[in-house]
Amino acid sequence: MTKIKKLLEFQFPARADQLCQVRERLRETLRACSKSEQMVNYVLLAVGEACMNIIQHAYKDEPGDIILEVEKHGGNMVVFRLTDFAQHKTRGEEMRSRPLDEIRPGGLGCHIINEVMDEVQLIECDSDCRNVLQMKKRLRTPRD
Amino acid sequence: MQANTTSEANYDLLTLSGEVDLHYSPQLRESILGSLKAGKPLLVDMGQINYIDSSGIASLVEGFQAAKSAKLGYGLLNVSGPAMQVLTLTRLDKIFAIYTSADQFAATLPA
Repeated sequence: MTKIKKLLEFQFPARADQLCQVRERLRETLRACSKSEQMVNYVLLAVGEACMNIIQHAYKDEPGDIILEVEKHGGNMVVFRLTDFAQHKTRGEEMRSRPLDEIRPGGLGCHIINEVMDEVQLIECDSDCRNVLQMKKRLRTPRD
Repeated sequence: MQANTTSEANYDLLTLSGEVDLHYSPQLRESILGSLKAGKPLLVDMGQINYIDSSGIASLVEGFQAAKSAKLGYGLLNVSGPAMQVLTLTRLDKIFAIYTSADQFAATLPA
């Protein structure tokens, strides 16, 4: 059975001015899991993009909260869960990347998330009005 | 993020430092478009950027398009490792003109 260890869990307001503090807490957790600063940067970026999507597209800049949970599953898998309570329900097609040969501002967040993470899954929780985005990243080696 | 624009002989130099995210990208957009709307070629120094997300990249792309429309020089200088990671991931490293010295950029501008 896979051993699951909770590394981080906190709730924060879904606002752009909170993202810096979120990264600070997450960076510390990731550095304890990986020696690769490049990997830490990529994961920080992907989780930041997912938070930004919730702020802009789920809450549409209205007030709300986000819960970030980070778990380590076994020796080398890190699982990130972002929960929001927005009325807008994110659909799978909204998580698709746009073609990169279109040179225009915006629309790169989902591409970044899908490129960085090994698995991205929207978990529907309609009964209690939650949206959960789960992302998994396998560290290259346990000592990566 | 800190953004500081200085006027060089025939272009503006926008020096960025810190982290560029959704909170700061509107300020970056304003700085970039401010120079270009004034008709100045623009070089963006990204040597001190330790984080940039897609909203910051969108501001850079908007500048790229505005400069192209106005036929003004536009480039990135000394792109830091974390910023280059994002440009590579989004394949924009092949689109932006990236320089390792301001003289290289200045040499591309009309005399």
